[in-house]
Amino acid sequence: MERFDVIVVGGGVNGTGTARDCAMRGLSVLLLEKQDLGCGASGGSSGMIHGGVRYMLSDRKVTELACRDSGYIQRIVPHLLFRIPFLVPFASKGERARLEERAEWYAFEVYFGAYDQYQPLKRSKPSVRLGAEELYRVEPGLRPGLHGAIAFDEWGIDANRLCLGNALSAETHGARIRTWTEAREVLRRDGRVTGVRWRDALTGEVGEAEAPVVFNASGAWSPAFGRRAGARVPMRPGKGVHLTLDRRWSDYGVLCTAVDGRQMFLMPHENESIVGTTDDDFYGDPDDIEATHDEVQYLLEGAASMVPGVARSRITRAWWGVRTTLHAYGPNEDALSRDHRLLEHAADGAAGLLSIVGGKLASYRAQAEDATDLILSLLGRAPAACHTHEEPLPGGEAPVDVAALASRHGVAEPVAGRIAYRHGARAEEVLRLCDEDPRLRLVLCKGEGILAAEVVHCLRHERVRRLQDLRRRCKLSVGSCGGLDCARPAAQLAARELSWSPEQARAELADLLEAGWRERRAVLDGHQLVQEELLRGVFGGGA
Amino acid sequence: MVGGGMAGAIAALAAREAGASVLLARRGPGGTALSGGAVGVAPDAGAPSTVPFALRLRPMEAARRLAALRPAHPYAIAGVGRLAEALDFAARALPGLLAPFEDRSRFLVTAGGGVAECGLCQRSQVAGDLALARGLVAAVGFRGHLGFDARPWAAAVAGMAAAGAPPSAWAEAELFGGPEEGTLAPHELARALERPGAAEAAGAAVRAVLPAGAAVALLPPVLGLDPAVRVLERLAAAAGVPVAETLADVPSVPGLRLQAALEARLAAAGVELVSGKVELGGWPRRPLLVAGQEREARAVVLASGRFVGGGLVRHGELREALLGLPVEATVGGESGTRLAGRPAPSLTRPERRAPQPLLAAGLRVDAAMRPLGESGQPAHPRLFAAGAVIGGYENAADGTGLGAAILTGYLAGKAAAG
Ligand SMILES: Cc1cc2nc3c(=O)[nH]c(=O)nc-3n(C[C@H](O)[C@H](O)[C@H](O)COP(=O)(O)OP(=O)(O)OC[C@H]3O[C@@H](n4cnc5c(N)ncnc54)[C@H](O)[C@@H]3O)c2cc1C
Ligand SMILES: Cc1cc2nc3c(=O)[nH]c(=O)nc-3n(C[C@H](O)[C@H](O)[C@H](O)COP(=O)(O)OP(=O)(O)OC[C@H]3O[C@@H](n4cnc5c(N)ncnc54)[C@H](O)[C@@H]3O)c2cc1C
Repeated sequence: MERFDVIVVGGGVNGTGTARDCAMRGLSVLLLEKQDLGCGASGGSSGMIHGGVRYMLSDRKVTELACRDSGYIQRIVPHLLFRIPFLVPFASKGERARLEERAEWYAFEVYFGAYDQYQPLKRSKPSVRLGAEELYRVEPGLRPGLHGAIAFDEWGIDANRLCLGNALSAETHGARIRTWTEAREVLRRDGRVTGVRWRDALTGEVGEAEAPVVFNASGAWSPAFGRRAGARVPMRPGKGVHLTLDRRWSDYGVLCTAVDGRQMFLMPHENESIVGTTDDDFYGDPDDIEATHDEVQYLLEGAASMVPGVARSRITRAWWGVRTTLHAYGPNEDALSRDHRLLEHAADGAAGLLSIVGGKLASYRAQAEDATDLILSLLGRAPAACHTHEEPLPGGEAPVDVAALASRHGVAEPVAGRIAYRHGARAEEVLRLCDEDPRLRLVLCKGEGILAAEVVHCLRHERVRRLQDLRRRCKLSVGSCGGLDCARPAAQLAARELSWSPEQARAELADLLEAGWRERRAVLDGHQLVQEELLRGVFGGGA
Repeated sequence: MVGGGMAGAIAALAAREAGASVLLARRGPGGTALSGGAVGVAPDAGAPSTVPFALRLRPMEAARRLAALRPAHPYAIAGVGRLAEALDFAARALPGLLAPFEDRSRFLVTAGGGVAECGLCQRSQVAGDLALARGLVAAVGFRGHLGFDARPWAAAVAGMAAAGAPPSAWAEAELFGGPEEGTLAPHELARALERPGAAEAAGAAVRAVLPAGAAVALLPPVLGLDPAVRVLERLAAAAGVPVAETLADVPSVPGLRLQAALEARLAAAGVELVSGKVELGGWPRRPLLVAGQEREARAVVLASGRFVGGGLVRHGELREALLGLPVEATVGGESGTRLAGRPAPSLTRPERRAPQPLLAAGLRVDAAMRPLGESGQPAHPRLFAAGAVIGGYENAADGTGLGAAILTGYLAGKAAAG
């Protein structure tokens, strides 16, 4: 039986972040993820490293923590972050703004003025007040009749690659990472947890691992995992759906008001736009979840109320995640605290089991630091200094000169740019593969800028066990084409690299396509439906 | 004829044969040009891969059974009585491209390493028919290109061994060499193989890597766009064995070849070919508009395709694009135009590989190929429909797409001329 200091259950941002911190502070770590890194709430999030301006009224502490941690995240993975300026437009019901509307705008300015205190923590610019003319100049697609806006700064990130980066770094520091391996049972003796029993979903292999501390970072699944140790993990799970639109519909993120008065947004995110999000109490099984027609319409209508053109946009997919908000009875979903809490389960007869509930992607590093501090103390170890805010994640070591990179390896600059975005300083290593094997210059996706070389790099160095893992490594077959060009060659590359039989490669391809289908089913309309007919012509009927 | 895919082209040729003067307008290539390149007629769906080829249902018998089982399929509505006649007509219309019709299924390897059962195929695919091939089938990919992996092809042949498929092996040949080869798209490779000497060089390269005893070489589906250049024949002569192509993905060289052959045949048959959009708004009270010009027509055949062709659109609701004819969907045994208004999740199933009602939606026609209006009666006595614009089957994925286009096109063309 293998022994570790700590077993981390869950490969989301909390699990991978904590595994990294623990490993960097000298602990031996096993991380188990039942599917792939990032495939829970982390990959299903809005992908914003934001300061949480929304929480400022209720939870100023959350705002400050988030801003400070965003700054650290920028320092350690600069390549994965991109600025998203946001607009909060003001409308007036009449020709001239009434007194109370003016008061409301004033209140907003004061509010954002307060937020500005925290902005330098995350290297963001202070908010600005825009008049109507300036507003329509910067964002002409907005609906008519707006009187102005406040513009403020936030940051976006590829959350899947953030999880991956943490996992790879943890590995470099000695951690063991097992994906597609579920922690099935909690081993206990005399009121203490002693380890877990796991099962590898791909090979069927089962095994046990021992550790005095088990860290339950299984997100929406944590109540279920806790129950296996007799521990209660109270939370109020909330389902959140996003839509992806096929292109950038605006240069700014735009805050919109949904039909029920909730705040939502339309924002540019990498090459696309994202509309989000819903927030509804979720009582179901987090493994059995899809976007519904109602959710799609709700989001589209809300976004179109501020940017009317969006009503005609091409929705390429609808995707989801489950928030693990702290439990409270009474408030509606939006009003729930986004703070995080670490729960020890000694009183439940499971000493050594620790669960994390709540929190945000944007403060993951601080959450991991808290968790690691507590894990050290549960282990009776002396406190050790945390360095996760200083040491770069893989690829974050140095900035990349995209033009030089592209010309050095003879690839088109936009492609080199996308690869540098995803891999940072390691883009050099990716493109070097093209020099060794010119076939790897084959462009698998023009939209995302995916080269065969990048797929091979991911297969070799980024813990890919299933073809669908490439959805999260390099957006393979996630875009509007649904994998028409890229899915087959990627399956063939994976078969070569991972020694799959032709049958296995076909099964993996089918699984990849199934994942895309689940996200498109609710949004098949217009051009996306045309694309689906093409996809079915090529991949339908089993062939 | 509105639409220049398989359905519109066959309808035009059938109407010409019946003595009509015919105009065919199309605004671009559709499903036909994107197809894998062989004509799916009626795969013997029930047969597992172990059933010997000799015991499989022939296409006509399989089509009869399919019609009995699936009342919404065009084979059921049109009847399959004239299916053989229609397929024979199509094969004779494109003698340089298609092999003759023989009411015998061809078992052809697909680009991804599956096996498709087809009722008619291109001459370039004949030698790869697993039911006929004898001796070792050598799947040969291109060493310099990652897009065509021969291993799955060889595995696909091996997977049909119990049915009587020959043994197989795989190899990789050096096509042109040179670093740019690996980044070419299929149609670019096809054009490159049409250059003087290229087919011979490729044939020699194939010969150099052929496993001992190879009786057939199965190659990527890029063997020239223009059949007149005879890439396949020249390559085979240099390779010293018969050569066949696999079926294709998108973009599909065999599909483009099929589309080009149809166009050439239409021109030769005296069909007036117009590039551009048809607008039918006021027809028959007002003349129809063909690429902006007013034209009179005694009869109109809608062969405008499914979503890819542009015959149907969905913007929140399913609609026939030219006349706004009612679209019918079938969900769990229930059919109707009312169902077509349902949200997408209600018209699809969670399993991708299940039949998907949304993608099987389309016009409902009577036995004379006249689309039905809201009342359930023909929308107009001289309006006909053919091909994928007709619903009741998932044309892109159920293995009957081009077969149904040929049957309905043939019948609609004859009816329109009558
Ligand atoms: C719609 C939505 C939008 C959001 N937007 C933002 C945002 O823009 N910015 C922000 O800061 N925060 C955002 N959040 C919050 C943020 O995403 C979460 O706080 C964070 O991702 C939680 O990470 P986690 O690691 O705890 O959970 P998860 O990412 O859900 O990870 C849990 C993992 O555990 C695995 N697992 C479960 N059971 C087992 C088992 N038995 N064995 C092994 N593995 C198991 C799961 O497969 C999963 O991968 C959003 C959340 C949602 C839902
Ligand atoms: C990727 C793919 C692969 C396939 N592979 C196969 C296969 O290997 N074997 C098989 O049997 N079937 C296959 N199918 C199915 C088959 O291709 C189609 O069912 C068949 O081609 C439909 O033919 P059609 O003539 O009805 O429509 P299309 O070929 O789609 O033609 C429609 C035509 O209508 C024109 N049009 C539409 N609206 C207008 C307008 N307003 N004015 C003017 N012109 C207009 C379009 O421009 C186009 O020319 C495949 C389908 C797809 C999508």
